[in-house]
Amino acid sequence: MTSADTVITVTPLPGEGKENPLVGGLSVVGGGVRRLLSTIGSEARFLADVVVGFRDVRTWIPETTTQALKLGVGSLPIALFIATFTGIVLALLASYSFTGAVPLYFVGTLVGKTVMLELAPVLTGLALAGRVGANIAAELGTMRVTEQIDALETLTYDPVAYLVVPRVVSGTLMFPLIVAASMMVGVGAGWVASVLLLHLSSPDFVKGLRLFFQTFDVEYGMVKSASFGFAVTLVGSRRGLRAEGGAVGVGRAATSAVVYSAVLILVLDAFWAVTWLLGREAT
Amino acid sequence: MKRINDAVVGLVVIVIVLALAGALAWVKGTDVGKRPHEVVARFHDVGNARVGNVVVIRGVVGGRIQAIELAPAGWVDVKMKLDPAVQLPPEPVVLLNESSLFGEWQATIVERSALPHDETVRQQIDDGSRGGGVLPGATLPGIGKLTAVAGQIAGDVASVAGRVEVAFDEQAARELRGSIRNVSDLSRMLATTVRTHASDLDTLSNQLRFAIATLNRTAVTVQGTASRIDSAATSKQVRDMIDNLAQASTELRHTSTQVRDLAGRFATTQTRLDSFLANGDSVMEKIKRGQGSLGLFVTDPSMYRRTDSLLVQMRSLIADIQANPKRYVSIKLF
Repeated sequence: MTSADTVITVTPLPGEGKENPLVGGLSVVGGGVRRLLSTIGSEARFLADVVVGFRDVRTWIPETTTQALKLGVGSLPIALFIATFTGIVLALLASYSFTGAVPLYFVGTLVGKTVMLELAPVLTGLALAGRVGANIAAELGTMRVTEQIDALETLTYDPVAYLVVPRVVSGTLMFPLIVAASMMVGVGAGWVASVLLLHLSSPDFVKGLRLFFQTFDVEYGMVKSASFGFAVTLVGSRRGLRAEGGAVGVGRAATSAVVYSAVLILVLDAFWAVTWLLGREAT
Repeated sequence: MKRINDAVVGLVVIVIVLALAGALAWVKGTDVGKRPHEVVARFHDVGNARVGNVVVIRGVVGGRIQAIELAPAGWVDVKMKLDPAVQLPPEPVVLLNESSLFGEWQATIVERSALPHDETVRQQIDDGSRGGGVLPGATLPGIGKLTAVAGQIAGDVASVAGRVEVAFDEQAARELRGSIRNVSDLSRMLATTVRTHASDLDTLSNQLRFAIATLNRTAVTVQGTASRIDSAATSKQVRDMIDNLAQASTELRHTSTQVRDLAGRFATTQTRLDSFLANGDSVMEKIKRGQGSLGLFVTDPSMYRRTDSLLVQMRSLIADIQANPKRYVSIKLF
């Protein structure tokens, strides 16, 4: 009998199996804090890895256009589709709200402001969170569970520089462009809807559109959408790289990527509104 | 494959960037290739004017507000970008005002002479004119201020109404009813008086009409006379008349000089005469008082008697001389 086969039996003392409720509660709180700090730490470490990965330019640059094509150009149709209907519905809603109280040319103002400042970035961001975030999480998750990433590491490739950085860069750069296209299409759709369905003249719509227009509106929407692109691709990559447990794990990673991305988009939307929009005098 | 990917991404990026730039330029109304000119206006306060608000000249949109900045000494500088074709009026001033009830503001460039007759506005413009190099500006009150003032007025009216309600009790109502009755009586009396004096008024109005007709005729006559004077003024007769008048006036001036001399002499004579009369008065007074020989002669009866006696004696002497000349005259030749 070797030492490994030795079985040590511990007999509990009287009253030892009964857990003190206070200690139990504290251990729950402590465990939660520990897990929270662990999560924050691991996410921060991942972010640091991405920053470090940026230095490996030769690895991520060649992949960036491929990702830009897949994540950006490939997302244009759905983004423009959403923007078209958003513009139309906004024009009709504005007309419905303004009936008899506000001049109809304010439809142009409302469509322009709402599309540029909020709807084009957020709706496009949410749509792309589903499309791009899930895509990245599933792709990287599959690579993780099929040990392709391990193979890359074995070949001394930095998986973050090769897989994450190109996606994050292309997402951060392409999201604003997609949103810009969505803005133009959304306002155009609202314009066409106003002319065809509301019998508003083109000069009136343009008058309303120009009335309170500022370049800041476009800048704000594009900066916001860049932050959305960064968040969506980063979350998708992180969820994919952490996938485990086969197809189920990949599915879970994709789902959580979409959920986290959507939540982050809304949080970032509020963040920009509070830090930039609120503090800005409309001058 | 990778090159195709690059090309597609590049094409999409370029197309979107160009489309966005074009859309922005169009929405902002930028004239590509034309250099807009900038003007700066100075205000105490810009109200709710914002960057991007339109600039209107004679009712036409001619540019937009480009920047609003705080300036030293409590001023606010508003930079406006105007279309190249826009020409400023002489002595331009800028008014910031609401262009609608929905919070839209605009900058209106007008001539100083076209300013509204508002003391506050003119004061603001005068203050802004002292800076130099920038256009003077004034801000008209917004609908918010106007409604605030209207609200204050409404409050005052409500307060007055409340006081009236307090003051207008039953007693006041009775008095008011009595006053109305009095006014009714008064109006009835007035109506009677008017009826009574209606004929007088008719007569008066007829006379007035006649007087006016007379005045009209007189005016026509005066007009005819004036026209005749006008026609005469153009002929030679008037010149002759004027020459004669000039000659007459010369002669008159000469005559008046002579008369003035005569009057001077007459004054001298009068002075002498006054002196003579004064002396005469003095003499007569002395005579009256019996001073001097003549006074004694006039007032003293013994003098008269002596003189009379002398005359009697003289008469008897002369008679004696006539009777006996040799007694008094002896002529001897040798």
